[in-house]
Amino acid sequence: MKYILLMSSTQAGVTGYHTWTQSDRDKHMQTLRTVIEELKGTGEFVATEGLAQPKDAKVVRGEKNGLPVTDGIFPESKEFLLGYWILDVATAERAYAIAGRISAAPGPGGVPTNMPIEVRQFADRATNAH
Amino acid sequence: MKYMLMMNTMRAEAGVPTWPRADLQAHIAYMHNLNRELRQSGELVSAEGLSFPDRARLVQAGRDGAPITDGIFPESKEFLAGFWIVDVESPERAYAIAARASAAPGAGGAPLNMQIEVRPVMGGPPPEML
Repeated sequence: MKYILLMSSTQAGVTGYHTWTQSDRDKHMQTLRTVIEELKGTGEFVATEGLAQPKDAKVVRGEKNGLPVTDGIFPESKEFLLGYWILDVATAERAYAIAGRISAAPGPGGVPTNMPIEVRQFADRATNAH
Repeated sequence: MKYMLMMNTMRAEAGVPTWPRADLQAHIAYMHNLNRELRQSGELVSAEGLSFPDRARLVQAGRDGAPITDGIFPESKEFLAGFWIVDVESPERAYAIAARASAAPGAGGAPLNMQIEVRPVMGGPPPEML
């Protein structure tokens, strides 16, 4: 079963990350790399990507003439996707356990960030509209 | 350049649309056609639809590292409904593709003109975060 683990934060959260020390960032990223290596070892890893900062985000709508209308202004409260992991795991509990590992990655001073990770299964092919 | 096109939805709008079957089929056919074009132009990296928000869980690591799951979200939360990752020459091309997706037909065949968030994909954490 394929699951996606979504890491989201607001612009304020992203700004906060930039105040971490280099050493704290290194430890955080090293933990995330270790998790990925383990998942590659177990065959559960499908894909991971990090997204550019919210300031590079645009919202696009099609207009009547089919041309794109872009806007880059978002409410302060908007959650932005920062990155994701796609897993192929046997159970939902296994997906939650991996999300817990990611959530526990160290933050400033080595204290786990315990940041929430949203976990969703991919739509079944039969009901997948796209 | 890789871009992620995100189709977000509020909980109230989530679920199988109550559109007539023919309208739903026209919508799906439109999206299939868009994906086929992007595959042929070599621009489609991946496209996935996610399960509905009622199956989403928020996972946080507890003190002992064990996952704590929760399925309660604020009413205002936007859920990712599906996404495309495209590999294109310019941001303008990514916006044009997003506008195509935005203009997918809804009930009665009228374009939905839904909002699509477009962000560059980093392939890893942004360099300034390392």
